[in-house]
Amino acid sequence: MKYVGKKIVTMCITLLLVSFLVFLCFSVIPGDPALSKLGTEATPEMVEALRKEMGLDRPFFVRYGDWLWSFVKGDMGKSYSYEIPVSELLVDKVPITVTMSVMSMLMIIGLAMPIGLYTTKHEGSIIDRIIYALNQVIMAIPAFFSGILITLLFGIILKLFMPGGYVSYTTSVAGFLGYMIFPSIAIALPKVAMTVKLLRSGLLGEKNKDYVRTAYSRGNNTTNVLYKHILKNAMLPIITFLGMTFTDIIAGSIVVEQVFGIPGIGRILLTSISNRDYPVVMAIIVCLAGAVIIINGLVDLVYQWVDPRIRLEEAS
Amino acid sequence: MKKKKNLNLIIGGILAGAVLLLIIVGIFWLPYDPDAMNIDLKHAGSSWAHPFGCDNYGRDIFSRVMVGARTTLFVALGTVGIGAGAGILIGAFTGYFGGWFDEVMMRVIDALFAFPSILMALVVISLLGSGKYQVIIALGIAFVPSFARVVRSEYLKQREMDYVKNARIIGCGHLRTMFVHILPNILPVLIPTVMIGFNNAVLAEAGMSYLGIGVQPPDASLGRMLSEAQTFLFSQPLYALYPGLTIVILVLGFSLVADGWKER
Repeated sequence: MKYVGKKIVTMCITLLLVSFLVFLCFSVIPGDPALSKLGTEATPEMVEALRKEMGLDRPFFVRYGDWLWSFVKGDMGKSYSYEIPVSELLVDKVPITVTMSVMSMLMIIGLAMPIGLYTTKHEGSIIDRIIYALNQVIMAIPAFFSGILITLLFGIILKLFMPGGYVSYTTSVAGFLGYMIFPSIAIALPKVAMTVKLLRSGLLGEKNKDYVRTAYSRGNNTTNVLYKHILKNAMLPIITFLGMTFTDIIAGSIVVEQVFGIPGIGRILLTSISNRDYPVVMAIIVCLAGAVIIINGLVDLVYQWVDPRIRLEEAS
Repeated sequence: MKKKKNLNLIIGGILAGAVLLLIIVGIFWLPYDPDAMNIDLKHAGSSWAHPFGCDNYGRDIFSRVMVGARTTLFVALGTVGIGAGAGILIGAFTGYFGGWFDEVMMRVIDALFAFPSILMALVVISLLGSGKYQVIIALGIAFVPSFARVVRSEYLKQREMDYVKNARIIGCGHLRTMFVHILPNILPVLIPTVMIGFNNAVLAEAGMSYLGIGVQPPDASLGRMLSEAQTFLFSQPLYALYPGLTIVILVLGFSLVADGWKER
């Protein structure tokens, strides 16, 4: 319990720091949002009035506190260019990006586990070597290039989907999920390769330990030892890695959304950056970073739940 | 017994070397002006004169790949320079001295680590604007935390070693101990980290240029070429493959070299 409490406190501090850093960054940028909103025709009086209205004349820490407090309450401010609350702007885009992330995560786990176990079991076989070589190549392919390759292969040559023909989930859920499979593959592929590599080396590293010999000497066969004994121990680093992978999936989704023409969080983030729509940019960045921190915190908790040794170490 | 040949190092060296050679040749000699347009050659296929064909403006794709790879390499080197430089300094000081400074820096690094590096770079880009040098600064800052963490944990291990105590006893100052005595000893860990960092920098630069917020025209960049090529994926699919494969070969080469280095 003590560990959980400590973890939550650290998570909160990190979240606070992230929000502070983001707010600081966007407060020191040259350029006055009030001035840019009014254009060059504005008189100094008009700018002053708008600054007051936007709350820009108050001290930095007051503004930060205010912003943070309304953020916690769910009010993320108002978009400069769309003139509507940021939360309204984002609410129908979140499911798209979340679906894509969850689908790629499921693919990573669903593909990497069996392949990793298979290559370990048949270490040194031809298939193991082929997979090793393939892995090295796939890891080198950036997500947007694999996205282009997938469009080329499945979209243009095999005609399995219509490139750029995004279907909204409000129109057809099946069509939406069908289209999302391909971007999810593009994000998942390099991560599958990395997970397989890590899992294989983790499993092989455990293979020569004493407990494995003991398990064999008690009459277990290879399959049993691999699944019941080695896998449990090799899973620990994989859990941490998958937590970190989540960060990469989010980063990947920003780019891949662009490849497949999906109007998700990444798309709106890029438009807002080029429009200098800072409230939107800030809200998205804080939310994404917050999601990463919370997920990694949860992974740490799962980790210590799976492996009590860590719990004892941290507590003492 | 003869030592087993380090296949990773050899293949990786050849692949990375091939792209590097292309870049170095490109500095001194290019088959065509990469920006020269020729409407007669619009979407021309491969030929002896234009091995990779021509793009939608009739520009020679081969020359553009050579120049684009140079920009990508330049940005990646700059990024790793900033990231590793600052990362080594922060990691060395926090790991060697510890204490409250270490505690504070690590919290900040943790906070920065919560940003995926491309997101972090996007923040900097939205503050600085886009362009070649802005991308180097943006990615450089984004890469500091990962280097700082690795270096710090190495310094934590090394500072308890006897040779460090010896160095202190014979009268070396802290700075001398840190950078003349400890730094060479963490190189086996640092070099693969730098190579992997270089790869991530290549991928991140390409990604950002692909999104149109990285390197700006007239600078050619592999990522930018890919996003231009994507429009013509139906009519000229090979256009997208050349810059893409160049990235893949470069990254694959360096990751094999990094793997091979660890095996030595």
